[in-house]
Amino acid sequence: MPTRRAFLATLAATGSLPALGWADAGSPAWLSCAREADGGFALFGLRADGALAFRQPLPTRGHAGARHPLRPEAVIFARRPGAWALVLDAATGAVAARLAPPAGHQFNGHGAFLQGGALLVTSEQLAETSEGRLGLWAADEGYQRIGDLPSGGIGPHEIRALADGTLVIANGGIATDPTDRTKLNIPDMRPNLAFADAEGRLRAVLEPAPEARQASIRHLAELPDGRIAAAMQWEGEGPPPPLLALARPDGGLAPVAAPEALWPALQGYIGSVAAAGDRIAISSPRGGRMAALATDGRLLVDLARADACGLAAAGAGAFLVTDGSGALFRVGDGPPLLLARHPCAWDNHVVPVG
Amino acid sequence: MRSLPFALALLLAAAPARADTARALDAVLLPGFERFAGATAALARAAAADCTPEALRAPYDAAWDAWVRVGFVGIGPSAGANLSIAFWPDARGATQKALREALAGDPPATADEVARSGAALRGLTALDAILGGDGYRPEGPECRLAAAVAADLAAQAEALAAAWTGHAALMKAAGEPGNATYLTPAEATSALYTQLLAGLEFAADQRLGRPLGEAGRARPARAEAWRTGRPVPNLMAELAALQELALALAPGPLPRSDAAFAEARTALAALSDPTLQDLEDPQARLRAEAAQQRIRAVRDALTAELGPALGVTAGFNALDGD
Repeated sequence: MPTRRAFLATLAATGSLPALGWADAGSPAWLSCAREADGGFALFGLRADGALAFRQPLPTRGHAGARHPLRPEAVIFARRPGAWALVLDAATGAVAARLAPPAGHQFNGHGAFLQGGALLVTSEQLAETSEGRLGLWAADEGYQRIGDLPSGGIGPHEIRALADGTLVIANGGIATDPTDRTKLNIPDMRPNLAFADAEGRLRAVLEPAPEARQASIRHLAELPDGRIAAAMQWEGEGPPPPLLALARPDGGLAPVAAPEALWPALQGYIGSVAAAGDRIAISSPRGGRMAALATDGRLLVDLARADACGLAAAGAGAFLVTDGSGALFRVGDGPPLLLARHPCAWDNHVVPVG
Repeated sequence: MRSLPFALALLLAAAPARADTARALDAVLLPGFERFAGATAALARAAAADCTPEALRAPYDAAWDAWVRVGFVGIGPSAGANLSIAFWPDARGATQKALREALAGDPPATADEVARSGAALRGLTALDAILGGDGYRPEGPECRLAAAVAADLAAQAEALAAAWTGHAALMKAAGEPGNATYLTPAEATSALYTQLLAGLEFAADQRLGRPLGEAGRARPARAEAWRTGRPVPNLMAELAALQELALALAPGPLPRSDAAFAEARTALAALSDPTLQDLEDPQARLRAEAAQQRIRAVRDALTAELGPALGVTAGFNALDGD
């Protein structure tokens, strides 16, 4: 018989619980960090029609976040190397808690809730060595730090809670300078895709084929059939290999057979990935491009858009696309629809909360 | 009734000077892509008829000149196309390796076979390796391979020019309903302005920066297409094209940028070896570093002079991704 915790986690993952309390924050469908016109940084709630639901100033540039599966609460992370995370209480609009990594650790911009929201896991690395750690926080007990575990690689980036209550980790493989973002080990980098159980303990590590070892696995989405879409950025010389792979914990990393010219057109760089049904969207702010693919690699949408990066599902088979010029698009089967344009530059990621 | 045209004229006079994206496309970029297609078609014809270095020299140089005048553009159809037209930088020597392997076996004999053989064996950089190689013989397999590579290059150039006609229409239709790529005319202008700056960075950091290597250790073999004498001619042609594009785009004259372009060209003209193979000589290195600084000064001048005139800013996520 499933435990209550597992039951709640399943409910939350299938999205069948109402988002109680988000109405008090203006009923946002998504959250996104941004740089504002005056050069400051803020978090915004975005409604399904593109209107702003709320604004919360941030101390420095933000990156991504995670929605609590049950409570109207979300955690927003600083851009790496990150020194802060904010827990936002949507019902009151207040910052409910401020998290800082322990001495010698850095937040890497992403995190996820496990155990039906009882456990927050943060993507971290040791500043000196870039060794990946999963920071563990008791979300039900005022976000007390309760320890950390290995992430299974160097320089983890996105981590994502799966529908079955486990965790998938993109270990990017890139060691960076303790004080900035300088890359230190490109010739020898070894990215991997790791899976951890609901307690954060490693269960499986998938390594890419040798020719793809300079493709840093950085961003993740989950497909309805349980496969993980793993998106990469190419650090090698010459033409990039396929930068999107599909994976299962018990299988390997299978490159998606998209048209070969897509990867150089993305300038070897995917900045964000999202799934809507069995469609996968990828974005490249460097290539000024957003594409939607079927799982067999068929190109369904190919949109040239400068500085496009943030992606999220926006209804069946459609995506929200944000960019550095403040625009919000809904991109589905027809022509892209401009939802709104705000005087800010949207940051890399969109966090679904609706 | 009579006051209406007068009011309109006043309005027009009061409107801020507009960046001329259409002029930049119609007078500089589209003719540039057409010229590249024409030059590569001529090179392919020449290579099919006569493989001697003497017969190929002029059409080969013309193809490079035409390429570097548009090769700095990285948006639209160019984004996925540039790598197989000029596979450079090539830090691992992939072109040399691919060429050795091809000549050791059964080299691609047609444009289609070249197109399937991978980017390192395609385009102008492959021709540099073939034509500039020590063992080049006009009657050998290198000749047939060069003709096939040239034919593939001409096909690529033709496809690129055709695709740019479509993308230029999209840029000129900026702000029209359904155009999500360019929501406003300013966005199309901004996209071209960004290409200008990227082109200057490529010239300074790659075309000059790679052979300059690290302090105290020049890397002349890293220069672009040095076997066939292209490094400095490529820089000269690229700067000329960037200046034309800047002037076409600008709402008014660009005196500071023009002066910076002239100084950069003078600095390049002072380089003693157009192949940049003399950079281990301290004097030559100093001159090359001076040229690099002059090119960076052009970028600064354009940023100060043209950027504000166009009212554009560089990308947010694209600059340092995460």
